[in-house]
Amino acid sequence: MPRLNLQRGLPRRVVACYLFFCLAAICWLVVGVVLTTHAAFSTRAQNASLTQLARAAAAIEMDVVRHGQQHLQQLVCRAQAEGDFSYCAIVGLDGKFLAHSNAGKIGKTAVDVSGERVQRGDAEQVSYADERSQTVREYRLPLTAEKERIGALQAATVEPGHWDFVRQIANSAPLAVFAPLLLIAVGAVVLSRQTRPLANIEDHLRHVAQSPLAEPIDVAKHRPRTAAAIGWNRIAETIDQLRQNDPGDIDSRVARLARDNQSEGAQSLLMHLPDGIAVTDAQGQITQANPALAAMLGQGTNCDALVGSRVEKHLPGEDTGQVLAEFAAAQSQQRSVVAEITYKANGEDRCLRVARYPRRQASDALRGYLWNIRDITQQKLAEQMRDQFIGAATHELRTPLANIKAYAETLAAMDEPDLESQKEFCNTINSEATRLARFVDDILSISSMEAGSLAVERQAVETKRLLSEVVEKVEPLMKQKSLAFDVSMPAKLPELRVDKDKIVVTLVNLLGNAAKYTPDGGHVRLRVQTHDDHLQIDVEDTGFGIATDELPSVFEKFFRSSDKRVLEQSGTGLGLALAREVIRLHGGDITATSEINKGSTFSVTLPLSAR
Amino acid sequence: MESRRKRVLIAEDNPALSRVLEFNLTKGGFDATVAPNGLVAWQHATKEHFDAIITDQQMPEMTGVELCQQIRSLPRYEKTPIVMLTAKYLEMELPKIRDELNLSATFPKPFSPQRVVHEVQQLLVV
Repeated sequence: MPRLNLQRGLPRRVVACYLFFCLAAICWLVVGVVLTTHAAFSTRAQNASLTQLARAAAAIEMDVVRHGQQHLQQLVCRAQAEGDFSYCAIVGLDGKFLAHSNAGKIGKTAVDVSGERVQRGDAEQVSYADERSQTVREYRLPLTAEKERIGALQAATVEPGHWDFVRQIANSAPLAVFAPLLLIAVGAVVLSRQTRPLANIEDHLRHVAQSPLAEPIDVAKHRPRTAAAIGWNRIAETIDQLRQNDPGDIDSRVARLARDNQSEGAQSLLMHLPDGIAVTDAQGQITQANPALAAMLGQGTNCDALVGSRVEKHLPGEDTGQVLAEFAAAQSQQRSVVAEITYKANGEDRCLRVARYPRRQASDALRGYLWNIRDITQQKLAEQMRDQFIGAATHELRTPLANIKAYAETLAAMDEPDLESQKEFCNTINSEATRLARFVDDILSISSMEAGSLAVERQAVETKRLLSEVVEKVEPLMKQKSLAFDVSMPAKLPELRVDKDKIVVTLVNLLGNAAKYTPDGGHVRLRVQTHDDHLQIDVEDTGFGIATDELPSVFEKFFRSSDKRVLEQSGTGLGLALAREVIRLHGGDITATSEINKGSTFSVTLPLSAR
Repeated sequence: MESRRKRVLIAEDNPALSRVLEFNLTKGGFDATVAPNGLVAWQHATKEHFDAIITDQQMPEMTGVELCQQIRSLPRYEKTPIVMLTAKYLEMELPKIRDELNLSATFPKPFSPQRVVHEVQQLLVV
């Protein structure tokens, strides 16, 4: 059996298997042929022997009838020769040989041998193996002369065994056996040649698989005899070209390609995150950064420019010393750290939240750091505005509540009924309750404005009447602070289609602000002008004014000036936001111009064609 | 029987509130003087003498805090009871403010005017 070497390539193993099964088939065929041929040969020989024996017996019987028993020996010898028997004899009724081809045995008693007995017609066949293991077949045929039995004709043949038979047919074997063997061998050679390119490629791949990762891959070409070999050669050429263009870096490029494919999703996620992200090695050098980080660190969107440098180096702000010390302390302990950095950019205060987390390997060794930088300027502003609002709202709620409680308690504790005082106190309670209700109303309006559910119900309004209603409402305020209050408007004013109540509230609000933020004895003016398609209403004052940097924010919700004089007045920072929303809902606009310590002008425009 | 009524200075920018305080103090047997802001109160305090001072915390021109600091810097007002009314702080923060400014008492708005008057009476008896 051919030895199957499993280390050999698949094509070699296929050829070896093919040969093994071919040889097994040939052997099986030979054994089958020998066995069947031998059996057929034996049957034919037995039939021939029986025929010869019958013919000899007939000749002997005829001769005995004619001539008596005088020619028996002669006939036996002839029968032995003709039948190619190993011996031929006639056994008398007394069991002794009357005649025998071996004359020496005449008169001797015939031995009755034991073996396989078969009756074939008149003849009895006994088969047995002799001392040389050859199959001996002995035939006994009764002899009769004139219907009287005279004895039995006995003859034997020696059949060759299987081995002798093989030896006999071996003469004709070369052609029958060796020709197929030769064909098989030729087939094996052809098969082997056909599969050799595949075997070579496989050998090569195995070599590549067994070579260390760091070593460059050795790719040799093969003879281009098959499609597989041609394909392999193209791969080899491509790798050669790559190596020539970028010598020595091929393996890192292959590794990078694999890594890129794997992390393409993560990469795209990183590139589009609004948070700044940087990955550094254990020494703190950036290996990867996203565009958001580059933008926050003042590098535009060029995140590759950051690679190789340290995040700390790029952090904005002048006094980052304390923050950096905190980061350095965290680095020595390899723990996470979060800090806030405030700085000025283009004259604006900005705030960054900087977090750094250690990245660990499975073995817990430090791999590097992950930085996460978020611009929280807007969040800080929102928080600041919320705090301002809560402070203002608390004051606005507590002041009328304090008055109501104080007057109610005083009223209740009055022993002597003093009608005038009672009336005065009740009026105060009433007006304070109104103030509280107005504040709650403001809050609700702002909340509707936020939810987008503030709606205007337009109706035809006589402009003059609307304005006189406004003037009527603000005049007491002006008087209280001894302010000069001018109203100028054209003699004729077109009709407006507006939500009257909301416009009145808005204008009262603007004039109320003018009164509130103008020192005693100042000047407030309401000026109305008509233009082609719109009405312009200006509210001017000679008040504190608004600083240039605060001017863009005055219409923002909860915004309150940081001017101390303004902060001393009560206010929620909602009035102007609400005013702008109302005017915009009418299709108009509101703008503010101001000069600090000189005064402010708020201009409202309302379209005349609004329907 | 005391020869004169004790004088109390009220510094409060909200006229309604100063009016009701004045009413209650007068009823409680005090002579009350009202100042509409810290600065006016300071001017009153330097010109005249007051036995007790009640001040709002948030006022124009001069805040209650500034007023307290100024008044305490005058030797004759070193031990004078000062009561502060405030709408700004949480009730639990008031003891801290009281200690910082060396105040006699603090009241968060809304407050009971009778309790304020009672507190002033107590402080002046001691």
